[in-house]
Amino acid sequence: MGAFTAMAWNGFREARRNRVTVLVGAFALVLLFATTLVTEVTVSTFDRVVTDFGLGVMSLLLVFLSIYLSSGLLSREIERRTIFLMVSKPMSRSRFLLARLAGNMLTLGVLLVAMTLLFWLQLVLNLAPITQPQLAALWGLYLELFVLTSAGFLLSTFASQLVSALVTTGLYFAGHLSADIYNLGTRSKSELVAWICKATYYALPNLERLNFRPRATYVLPVAASELATATLFALGWGALFCVLATLVFERRDFR
Amino acid sequence: MTAASMMAAPAEPLVSEGSAPVRIRGLSKTYRVGFFLNKQVKALQGLDLDIMSGQVYGLLGPNGAGKSTTIKLLMGLVRASQGQALLFGESPDRPHVRRQVGFLPENPSLYEYLTGREFVTLAGRIFGLSGHDLDQRVERVLGEVGMGRASDLQIRRYSKGMVQRTALAQALISGPRLLVLDEPTSGLDPLGRRQMRDIILAEREKGTTILFCTHIISDVEALCDRVAVLVGGRRVQEGSVQELVSARAPSVEMVVQGLPLEQLQSLGFVYEQAQQLDGRVMLRVPDADAHPLLQAIINRGGRINRVQPARFSLEDLFLEAMKQAGGQTVGGEIQ
Repeated sequence: MGAFTAMAWNGFREARRNRVTVLVGAFALVLLFATTLVTEVTVSTFDRVVTDFGLGVMSLLLVFLSIYLSSGLLSREIERRTIFLMVSKPMSRSRFLLARLAGNMLTLGVLLVAMTLLFWLQLVLNLAPITQPQLAALWGLYLELFVLTSAGFLLSTFASQLVSALVTTGLYFAGHLSADIYNLGTRSKSELVAWICKATYYALPNLERLNFRPRATYVLPVAASELATATLFALGWGALFCVLATLVFERRDFR
Repeated sequence: MTAASMMAAPAEPLVSEGSAPVRIRGLSKTYRVGFFLNKQVKALQGLDLDIMSGQVYGLLGPNGAGKSTTIKLLMGLVRASQGQALLFGESPDRPHVRRQVGFLPENPSLYEYLTGREFVTLAGRIFGLSGHDLDQRVERVLGEVGMGRASDLQIRRYSKGMVQRTALAQALISGPRLLVLDEPTSGLDPLGRRQMRDIILAEREKGTTILFCTHIISDVEALCDRVAVLVGGRRVQEGSVQELVSARAPSVEMVVQGLPLEQLQSLGFVYEQAQQLDGRVMLRVPDADAHPLLQAIINRGGRINRVQPARFSLEDLFLEAMKQAGGQTVGGEIQ
């Protein structure tokens, strides 16, 4: 096991031993089990309700977890001064940074897989089909988690955990509303407002491009090209955040 | 190498000659502080230092003298404002250079969710160790620092001394050629301090170069070949412990009875130290003055209780250096 893998695996181990992660994971599993109860209130749209509720629960809890984990990842290391022993080791700062990010994504990936298996079990037990749009929605969710984790990660290189978490949460909501912000600008009579709305739209990642959950609910297929574009879009934003995080982190003094 | 250190003009050209484990030229570090970052604290100013292979080198100084800053600059934790620091003739930022260095920071903080064994194993993996070799080394270093039995407990349950020992174990895991220790005996009980000293001496026997900083003078006297005294971010003394101590003219210490301090002061001698004790006076004078002073005391009816040569200690050197620094003993220069 190389230095990078050791650090990434350690990140996963850290999250696994963190009470918040365990509680959120357990809560998600209980909620997914509870999906059966929701189906009691539906007569003919069982598949839609289960898909909508199941994917919604997964999205909500994993987004919360990604913000919680990423915002404290580096700021906690810096505050507790564990960073001294890591940054002084024979591993560049950028590799350390990316290994920590990889550890976070591994944690989120394992939780997503566990939740997905339970979600599919629900579907199979209730004789509902597993569809292509559901798979697309799950992949889109993981990409969204990657963008949010990278953003939280960037912020945690210079801000406290609270500030990082608040700004990343703001980014999540603004990212899902960015198309509406753009539309607001086009309808505004003020040139300044229009310009601000447009600038906001381009400055923030449009997270709706990664949201295939409504399509999964209504079983509307997602084209491979659309998935590929979404993947490139997410990787682009994630890479941008990672490069900025590396630039900040490389220059930092750890006093 | 940082942009700042590349731009700075060192005191003399740096050549990657030989294998001096540590070579520092004109190293300075200025921190910006205050809400608007408008104040500057000069934590280190123009430090020059050479540490040769196999030496145990002590950085001595009061709190805020720049000892930890020097170590942080060497370990790449902070970036130099000016000057250069080289480890084995190369930039400390290079991973293959750091592979040869073991580092114990002041008040080390470890991943509390890991056990001591897991933490040391993680450190070994980052150093590129694996398999049976890693397992053997982990076992050995944990035993050396006296953590063999407690190594499977989570670090959050450790005492301060146990954390210090585990942190030392991770510094030793790679069999480093250079060991950098920041206040290694702080937080240890007397037994732990003795063990820490023994480990440092054992590492010296193996030929490891050791740089450590402390304000505990007895540790320096017991362990170091050479010493640099830092005060207010500047180096004020440097040399071998023997040189620094024996370079001073010898003194004589005497205890006098039957004459008050005022009368002794009127004899016209210059005392290095004069102290009124309970019915007695303790004097310290240069060796050359001892004989005439003894005669003068006896002539005036005084009694000599004790006469002995006074050894100039590192503590005296340390206090003298602080006095020379104009009373600025704690913290860097603030502008």
